[in-house]
Amino acid sequence: MSAAAGEVSDDALLVLYANGDGRAAAELTARLSPRVFGVAMRVMGSRAEAEDVTQEAMLRLWKMAPEWRPGEAQVSTWLYRVAMNLCIDRKRRARGGHVDLDAVPEPPDPGRSAAEQMQEGARQDALQAALMQLPERQRQAVVLRHLEELSNPEIAGIMDISVEAVESLTARGKRALAAALAGRREELGYSDG
Amino acid sequence: MADTDKALQELEDLFAAARSDRPAVPEHLSAAILADAAREQAGFQPERPARAARLPKWRQLIEAIGGWPAMGGLAAASAAGLWIGVAPPAFVPDPVALAGYEDSSTVFADESYDIAVMLSEDLQ
Repeated sequence: MSAAAGEVSDDALLVLYANGDGRAAAELTARLSPRVFGVAMRVMGSRAEAEDVTQEAMLRLWKMAPEWRPGEAQVSTWLYRVAMNLCIDRKRRARGGHVDLDAVPEPPDPGRSAAEQMQEGARQDALQAALMQLPERQRQAVVLRHLEELSNPEIAGIMDISVEAVESLTARGKRALAAALAGRREELGYSDG
Repeated sequence: MADTDKALQELEDLFAAARSDRPAVPEHLSAAILADAAREQAGFQPERPARAARLPKWRQLIEAIGGWPAMGGLAAASAAGLWIGVAPPAFVPDPVALAGYEDSSTVFADESYDIAVMLSEDLQ
């Protein structure tokens, strides 16, 4: 989420927004909301939940803007951290109450033909289903590292843990994902060759 | 070992495919985010016009000429002007000389011809 050369930084846009610039909010929304939405989709496993998390995280960004001190932290890191904490809070609430059927990935349909299962959509569904089986923190670390391609130090800042802990979480998460998908190789159209 | 490597490579391929196929933010969500932004931003604006309208007339006059610093300057300039008028310093030029006369005696053609003589001649 870093700004390209010649582009106004997220930092500067947030200050402009706090000073009343109407265009700054549109630019920040275009830059940041797709990232938050993508991460929330993967972590929550539900479109509706991801939309709620994204709107709430962005609302907290707008509310915090007047107190933002440019140069002290990255806006994107702050926003990812808020989004991840919102995801954890929602998961905890869901566990304590009813189970949201929308949040549970659909089980693989055994009635599908081999040709259908080879489609990329099925593989992505399988990846999402495997992600949802990971413990919460492993899932967050894997999504931030391998889907958002953030650096380990940045993930450590977002999750408030050490870089070594990030490495451990992502390594264990990847092994668990590979094991979960290994049992479905044939179903997903992977050959042994 | 080879199976593990293959499984991890397939996982990397799945990650790559997932990265290239990010879900788009729905339009209604973008609209809701921007509406939140506008509402919050409206709360940041200072209420200067309302505060100015509440000032009494005399305060508004002072504010109009530049506030209390300007009032101090105005008072100092007024006091200096009054003092120069009552007791002009030596370097202040005679206003009569400035008008084009050397001194008041040149108004009369003859120095010996004063007002008393003129009046007595008129009475005769």
